[in-house]
Amino acid sequence: MTDRIPARDHHGSSMTNRRRFLLGAGVGLTLPLLEYFQAKSLGGENNGTPPQRMLLISNNLGVLPGPFFPTGTGADYKLSPYLNELADLRGDFTVFSGLSHPACLGGHSTENCFLTAAKHPTKSGFRNTISLDQYASQRLGRQTRFETLNLGVNIDRANRSLAWTRDGALIPAEDSPANLFRKLFLHGSPKEIESQLHRLRLQGSILDTIHQSTRQMTLRMGKSDRYRLDQYFTSIRELEERIHRSGEWASKPKPEAPEVPPSDITERHLLFEKCEQMLAIALLALQSDSTRIVTLMIDAFATPVFHLGDEEKSSTGYHNLSHHGRDPASIAQLEQADRRQMKMLASLLAKLKDTSAEANSLLDSTMVLYGSNMGDANIHSNTNLPILLAGGGFRHGHHIAFDHDNNTPLSNLFVSMIQRMDIESDEFGSSTGTLTGLDLTPSG
Amino acid sequence: MTFQLQRETRRLANLLALALVLAVLPRPTVVADETTWPMLDTLKSACIDCHNQDYAEGSLNFDDLPWNLHEPENRERWVLVYDRISRGEMPPEPDDLSDELRAQLTDQLATQLVSVDRRDILQEGRGAFRRLTRDEFTNHLRDLLQLPKLDVKSYLPPDRERHHCNKVASTLDLSRVQLEAYLNATDVALRSAVASGVEPPASTSRKMWATSMFESSETFGNREAMFYAKDSRMIPLSGAGLASIRKNDQHDPSVELAIFRSASWPYFGYPDKFLAREAGEYQVRFSARAVRQIRDFQLRPALRPVPMTFRARKRSGPDVSGDVRATGGVIDVQPIEAVYETTIVLKENETFEYSLLGLPVPIVFADKRPIYYDFPPMPEGGHRGIAFQWLEITGPLSSPQWPPPSHRVLFDDLPVRSSHGNSSLPIELVSEQPRQDAARLLRRFIQNACQYPVAEPQIVPFEQLVFAELDRGSPLAEALLAGYRAFLCSGEFLFLSEPMPTRQTDEQYQVTVARRLACMLNNSRPDAPLMQHALDGELVRQAALSQEVDRLIDSAAFDRFIENFTDHWLGLKDIRRDEPDIRLYPEYRFDDYLIESLEWETRQFVKALFRDNLPASSLIDTDFCYANDRLSRHYQLQPLAGSHLRKVALPSGSPYGGLLTQGAVMKVTCNGTSTSPVIRGAWVMDRLLGNPPPPPPPQVPAVEPDIRGAKTIREQLALHTEDASCASCHKRFDPVGFALENYDIMGAWRSRYRSTSRGEKITGIDRAGHPYRYHVGEVVDASGQLLDGREFSDLKSLKKHLLEDPRPLARNLLHQWTLYATGTTVRISDRPVIESILDDCQVNDYRVRDLLRGLIQSSIFLGSESPRLTP
Repeated sequence: MTDRIPARDHHGSSMTNRRRFLLGAGVGLTLPLLEYFQAKSLGGENNGTPPQRMLLISNNLGVLPGPFFPTGTGADYKLSPYLNELADLRGDFTVFSGLSHPACLGGHSTENCFLTAAKHPTKSGFRNTISLDQYASQRLGRQTRFETLNLGVNIDRANRSLAWTRDGALIPAEDSPANLFRKLFLHGSPKEIESQLHRLRLQGSILDTIHQSTRQMTLRMGKSDRYRLDQYFTSIRELEERIHRSGEWASKPKPEAPEVPPSDITERHLLFEKCEQMLAIALLALQSDSTRIVTLMIDAFATPVFHLGDEEKSSTGYHNLSHHGRDPASIAQLEQADRRQMKMLASLLAKLKDTSAEANSLLDSTMVLYGSNMGDANIHSNTNLPILLAGGGFRHGHHIAFDHDNNTPLSNLFVSMIQRMDIESDEFGSSTGTLTGLDLTPSG
Repeated sequence: MTFQLQRETRRLANLLALALVLAVLPRPTVVADETTWPMLDTLKSACIDCHNQDYAEGSLNFDDLPWNLHEPENRERWVLVYDRISRGEMPPEPDDLSDELRAQLTDQLATQLVSVDRRDILQEGRGAFRRLTRDEFTNHLRDLLQLPKLDVKSYLPPDRERHHCNKVASTLDLSRVQLEAYLNATDVALRSAVASGVEPPASTSRKMWATSMFESSETFGNREAMFYAKDSRMIPLSGAGLASIRKNDQHDPSVELAIFRSASWPYFGYPDKFLAREAGEYQVRFSARAVRQIRDFQLRPALRPVPMTFRARKRSGPDVSGDVRATGGVIDVQPIEAVYETTIVLKENETFEYSLLGLPVPIVFADKRPIYYDFPPMPEGGHRGIAFQWLEITGPLSSPQWPPPSHRVLFDDLPVRSSHGNSSLPIELVSEQPRQDAARLLRRFIQNACQYPVAEPQIVPFEQLVFAELDRGSPLAEALLAGYRAFLCSGEFLFLSEPMPTRQTDEQYQVTVARRLACMLNNSRPDAPLMQHALDGELVRQAALSQEVDRLIDSAAFDRFIENFTDHWLGLKDIRRDEPDIRLYPEYRFDDYLIESLEWETRQFVKALFRDNLPASSLIDTDFCYANDRLSRHYQLQPLAGSHLRKVALPSGSPYGGLLTQGAVMKVTCNGTSTSPVIRGAWVMDRLLGNPPPPPPPQVPAVEPDIRGAKTIREQLALHTEDASCASCHKRFDPVGFALENYDIMGAWRSRYRSTSRGEKITGIDRAGHPYRYHVGEVVDASGQLLDGREFSDLKSLKKHLLEDPRPLARNLLHQWTLYATGTTVRISDRPVIESILDDCQVNDYRVRDLLRGLIQSSIFLGSESPRLTP
């Protein structure tokens, strides 16, 4: 009997690899995939320019500002305690200070605006705007199997997301690594593919029908009600386009599955293990060119008492903890949690760097944004956000500091990123231009 | 509400006067001038000192606030101005505005605002055209397709919540993700409505003796947790011994399976071998008795029943993969051996495990080898448990009618045969004239889905789709499903319109009212009698409407309202959000049964508010509560036996009574570790008294809370609110929270705080067998002072203050329901309507059902224009 007992306690001090999956130390990303997608790129869809990718990560409670922000600016800045965790990668990222979304205030209410920059989220009648990932994917059109992957960890799927449509409707995050893996790698038999094509065609006809029938309804509508119906028609149109493209993709083979499918970690207190698992699959998605845009919301706010490491757990839920009130014990725990994330980020960047892609490393063709809507969760501040950008072929290794009291729009960074994606656009959200000081490397 | 009663009363007087004015003038003749209003200068001169271009306090600048009430956002701001002035909060110095002028100003401003708002409503409606919520959509499908157990939740994204409500029109967005979800969910729903074959699926029955009822020979928690017994004594059975019995089919009918623990990780109390080959309902019959385990593993009859339920799950060993769901309801197993019967729902490849409620959950200690457990020491009288003799499972159950009713909804009585080759359905329809049958069945289905006669042009697009599919060679059944699916995803089905008597034909209007009523009270579509009233044009009559409201409240489907409403209004959906901190509260370790009971209690109580037409003051206090065995202990009442809730008179001196102090409320308003008067106070002010804390003014710099060195919660808060701008708000809601400090994280009474280090040390062994240690420290101080100066020493005396004027409680209920029923918050022109409902209900103590009836019979619910409500 006793040998059936899983060797872990309720805090999951040890776990099978299947659950921990790939990102953990030592488990390599040596992949057969690479050949697949190199071959594909050689097939030449990109007229020579290697594609750019985005991985956008936000923790909705942010980090302690003190140990995050460095001293000194430019290339000679001094690594902060947190950034010290990324010391080996110093030349691969840029840290920013003095960035925020103008008029995007309201404590935690700003969490859904991190990638949208929508103003006044607490005002009555507030409606969110399109998020960076959706904007980029709309402009790029569908080049990969998935336009975007929107992921979440511990996420309150009903109410929180980084991804929002043009109409300001929430796009729910995928929070199951097992599902994600299935979508990415497991392909069906010819018969299944045929029936999928049939299903898509039928969906197309149904959309056609409801478009016609609902148009009759508009005749009976007041003008304020038409807004709702416009949303409906937009949805029909967008879905039609997607179905069309899904049909094209359905007949193409999916990449080989590189590993055994992961099984989901369901325990909410294993926050970091869950993040690592999700990031590992996100990496696979980018690597296999299944998508070029990934968002990940770490819903710290919805995280109850959580596991900090070894046998230690936080004394209270993440949100409570973030209101540390200068209590040294709480601050120590937050530091531990923040450092853990920095380490995770370091290992993510290292993996990207070690993976070769079209031209150079996968990191060179992937912009990794890590940040938060909270500048200081303890005081509910939404200015001076912690923002870090790695990869993407930019000239890194700097601390680009903007005015602490008069912040520069974070959207300026977004515009720089959009342009890096080869999208011809010079504005996004509350931007006033591109971000000053962020340049490309000569080769980039 | 504030406690400034005098001003409150005056404001009401204003509104009443206004209501009278409006009653006399069916059409507003006083219309706001686009550019001027004679009193605008008076108002500005009183306010402009603080609210000007240079110094826009509260980001209000009168130079920048045009007198244009037609623009809704602008009007909202003026409503805010009106509120602050009429409540006497602004201007803050009495010298800035004389009482007389203030009254005149607010009177006129109200008249202007209301008349513009009314005109807007007449032209545009109250603004509540919205899509169905996830639950409404699911229930619509269940009721239409006659599939009461249909579960499409996982296909549909959850709805967003706003103002503690999930039916707010402005947040019920429609995105491509949502639309795609409808396409998938309707496909799944329609396919599960089709007969699974020409004959009903073969149902199998399996009877197992006790020695087949449990996968293994022992379980986590050792012998104390579970053993096999004969003649009320344990028989030692090894794994090999058990395997041999099973292999040779040598079961001894007199052996019992005795279990003494609850189901929680690690545990797998499911039977040997059983697996549901098909998803569906299964009938479970079993024989069992409630027992006590005394020394040397002997059984004695229990002193009171032991509740249990079944849990559907995968056969995945101690770890759980996939979901685990309680199913089949709670059964109180009695001390005398008896046979019980229930129906459980299983998914494909699932099994079921025994979940005994409220018993110990031993935890594995895996940090040392060998791995070990401690079962708690034996309580007086022994460990409680259940001894099972046998169990029989039969299923999947199929409808006594075949094809099942859901199939007939789709295809009437068209003959069926087994499908072959080109169909993805298990059956195919036999038809001589597929096109004619298709046309007939499609009309029948749409008619049924819509519940009222649909005009022919509206059917055409769907018919074209079905015909096109037929022409493409699709089998008739599949072609029809395509048409049905399209209809279920069309605007006609997905959206709810608002009743607009002036714009709609009488039939449309009556049907819209019926749909709104059903969505409110049953979270679904109208049932047949309700729809019949509407189609007969009889619904919107005082007597008929009132009768229908009563009938729906008394119907079984009213539970859907209770669940959805309390999930959001009271936040009951979050009741499992925070685990109780077992360092401080070891008695709550793994006590799922307590949490479940608390949830039942509050839902039952809210239901009784409506069913028994209780006064609104019941939110604050009642002389009874609902309790079962677990709650009677939790609330220190006379012991009760069994899991079912019953109404219990509270002993005098009990600190309970009313919704306010129910454990569920206390639990959702804290974090599982400590209670916060701020959160609880704000919660009560917001959810019960309708006076949410205002957002912090944007221009006030963020004040960093400094709680170092603080000891009690009171001292911590005192530090936090040292800043005057913090304090001015906190004093609105903190006091009520302080009064609730005597209730711990689960609502149990406490007179002193617990801590991990300070105070008197308490040790013991908890229900999981773990030793615990905590300290009992500072005495709880539950006294405080309300904003208006009234003082209280504890919750009892606070209740007295709150009960002096139950009107705000009643008003808040009306506000909550207005949002819930119409998808829109109370508008300025709704206010006089609300006040007049309150006036009507005042004499009879603002009874809950009366209030609801009043709202449903008002123009807020029935439509903007003076309703056609005839007696």
